[in-house]
Amino acid sequence: MSICQDLGLNFQQRMGANISQLERDIGSEQFPPNEHYFGLVNFGKHAIAIQFYRPYIFVDHLEKNIATQKKKVGSIAPKKFIARLRKEKEEFDNYMQQDAHEFLNFLINHINEIILAERNQSTLKVQKNTSGENVTCNGTLPQNTEPTWVHEIFQGTLTSETRCLNCETVDVGQNTSITHCLKCFSDTETLNNDNKFKCDHCSSYQEAQKRMRVKKLPLILALHLKRFKYMEQYNRHIKVSHRVVFPLELRLFNTKCFQSDDAVNPDRLYDLVAVVVHCGSGPNRGHYISIVKSHGFWLLFDDDMVDKIDASAIEDFYGLTSDIQKSSETGYILFYQSRDASC
Amino acid sequence: MPQKDSVCPLYEPTKDYVRTLAYAKDKEQVASAGLDRAIFLWDVNTLTALTASNNTVTTSSLVGNKESIYSLAMNPAGSVLVSGSTEKVLRVWDPRNCSRLMKLKGHSDNVKALVISQDGSQCVSGSSDGTIKLWSLSQQRCVSTIRVHSEAVWALLATENFTHIISGGRDKLVIITELRNPDNFMIVCEETAPILRLCFTADQQGVWVSTSKSDIRCWKLPPRNSLSSDTYNQNNYNTNNVYQTQPTCHIPGGPAIKHYTVLNDKRHILTKDTVKNVALYDVLKACKVEDLGEVDYEEEVKKRFKMVFVPNWFNVDLKTGMLTIHLGQDETDCLSAWVSAKEAGLTTENDQKVNFGALLLQALLEHWNHPNRVNEAGMKVIGNNFFSVPVHTPLIFSEVGGRTLYRLQVGDASGENEGNLLVETVPSWVVEVAIEMSAPNLNKLPFYLLPHSSCQSKQDRQKKDRLVANDFIQCRKVAEHVVEKIVGGGDANGAGAKPAEDTTDSPEERVELLCCDQVLDPNMDLRTVRHFIWKSNVEFTLHYRVLKL
Repeated sequence: MSICQDLGLNFQQRMGANISQLERDIGSEQFPPNEHYFGLVNFGKHAIAIQFYRPYIFVDHLEKNIATQKKKVGSIAPKKFIARLRKEKEEFDNYMQQDAHEFLNFLINHINEIILAERNQSTLKVQKNTSGENVTCNGTLPQNTEPTWVHEIFQGTLTSETRCLNCETVDVGQNTSITHCLKCFSDTETLNNDNKFKCDHCSSYQEAQKRMRVKKLPLILALHLKRFKYMEQYNRHIKVSHRVVFPLELRLFNTKCFQSDDAVNPDRLYDLVAVVVHCGSGPNRGHYISIVKSHGFWLLFDDDMVDKIDASAIEDFYGLTSDIQKSSETGYILFYQSRDASC
Repeated sequence: MPQKDSVCPLYEPTKDYVRTLAYAKDKEQVASAGLDRAIFLWDVNTLTALTASNNTVTTSSLVGNKESIYSLAMNPAGSVLVSGSTEKVLRVWDPRNCSRLMKLKGHSDNVKALVISQDGSQCVSGSSDGTIKLWSLSQQRCVSTIRVHSEAVWALLATENFTHIISGGRDKLVIITELRNPDNFMIVCEETAPILRLCFTADQQGVWVSTSKSDIRCWKLPPRNSLSSDTYNQNNYNTNNVYQTQPTCHIPGGPAIKHYTVLNDKRHILTKDTVKNVALYDVLKACKVEDLGEVDYEEEVKKRFKMVFVPNWFNVDLKTGMLTIHLGQDETDCLSAWVSAKEAGLTTENDQKVNFGALLLQALLEHWNHPNRVNEAGMKVIGNNFFSVPVHTPLIFSEVGGRTLYRLQVGDASGENEGNLLVETVPSWVVEVAIEMSAPNLNKLPFYLLPHSSCQSKQDRQKKDRLVANDFIQCRKVAEHVVEKIVGGGDANGAGAKPAEDTTDSPEERVELLCCDQVLDPNMDLRTVRHFIWKSNVEFTLHYRVLKL
């Protein structure tokens, strides 16, 4: 959206008044030391997408850039970040509007891949150094399976359990997509009729019950609300603006397993720390803003603008109660942080 | 060998597995139920007189269960019938008028075992939730919950006067409990696997136990009065305190095949059983070829890898603990595997092709005295001229969904009754192949043939030549074609392919074929090239390169 780009520049120019407003809102005594609240200049959807989880992902140059600023508040143009992003992923190399969830998945996975690649390279070097030149790479490199910080922060474990109704043994599969988990939150599906389960134990097709359970809860629980669904009558996707209440505190309940070994930390309590809000009426375009909790304040980041908001204002982003098709500002991705990790 | 139109289905009403039966002795009625959610009543007299052509025996059906039924019980008078299902409730029926009497709630998981008292006033249920419940049907309530097992209860047996219940399940324990005083219980024995069924000995002093393993054991039951609290409490309950440690009788079962690998020749199967013995079977001859003993299964599979591709013509299942071969459900599936008879070790002749499915069908039905079994010369043709299969081989005809239509042993097909039933059951395409000996269709494989980029001789031939050949022909034949029609002949009208007279070189020495830049072995057949080298089902393309003109 080249229009967005232009708008972004305009915003930047009239920033002055707004900056002092935020500082005034928070108050100089209350303003956290070493904290900088910077908006990001919007040039296309990417920029909008990144701003809200800035507190979690330390995109290096961006952080440095902001940290070295003398001003407490302001805006910054994430040019280098966007340039790198475009290089890394062809799909983002344009001014098209992008989906925040797809973008988040890409970014997290990509950063993780880079970390792993770098780590492998360094172990490779170490190996060569220690064992001389005769080392042959036969593919049996010590696999670096240690979790990266991306794993530590975002990874949970979801299990899919299938219990054969004949021998009642439980077959456990693994899956790490937490969004998928939400979809299957607690339903138990019975595999029967022509869709029986092939039980290895019974060597035959038997009825079985299948369900998804959270086995290990992540530090940061990122929940993606599927706000877009395909409507046959319109022959396209429409935005689902239904009111979905997201509590400030959250405890997952589908942590009980068929087998006795329940989740490691089944009672983990989560606090809402950030929300990506989609503004607009349809799934194909619109605007993203984000609200982030920082030092007890809720801040609203809208491109290069940063405003303090009241916690009660979060309710405005739950969605619409009536069924009328209109523009809405609705929570799209929710970030919950484990309470035992936040201290 | 599933068949499309059912001729004489046995037990017609059931559409899914039957999981449980109940018998009303005085009335000689049997109830059956299972995963199709309905209960059927059968008259035992008709049932025992049942032949495959006369089997309309359902007297009535009870519908109303919302989920699969895993247990049934009926009193001897046939006045009360109880069903247990995954909906976790017990449903009680009066089978005489097929009316529903009540629904009993209380279990938190599937109800897998039921027994009912003689007079039909009480009932005991065993559930996957690990509990046993005693119900009063007259009062329509749960009288007591017995928690003696640590896991799911799968089998129940009540003493004749309904004073004691013997139970077994996933925790492998057989436990006897006094119904009116559940604190009085004793572990009869510990089995080696989860317990599936319990059955009294004739004198009711012992119990036969079947488990998920193939052995059956008989265990002595404690005298009923020894459970009374005084005697029992002295011993105190713990799992080591088991009444019997040795069975009074043991019927050993055979090992079951647990793993199989169909080898690439689509004829041999390597298996591994519950005692880790590895064996090699020949599907074509329906017999075991070799016992390999306790060897490394994966290693044996690897050792037997051959780079050859033969289309699938059967599926395997192990649900009986033995190999069950399901032949493809129609002529295209079942008759897809053509191979060279020489390579299959059936003959020394060079060019004979055989079809695995056809050979096996001919052998399986060679004892069937079918009227059409005569060739043009008026000679009776029997079997497949190469081999026979063991006469004890069970042969099952079933519908596509798996329901059995008719079963017999291969040798019994010579009987008159069996022959007549086969006439009704066997699909016409099987008769054509196995009896009338008509040759199955050959599989055609389309491919493109192009000069290799390094071969500049015929630059003008840039259009893709689309050819079709039998899928089992060897690359040598394609090379021959190249030599005769494209390179050597030189006659654009194809008026005559003249073999070059001045050379004795074979076609493969004059032209080599490539696929994905890999030079092909002249002995390799086209489908193998496509499967292992081209690795796709579309636009299969071969290149040729002229070595010598």
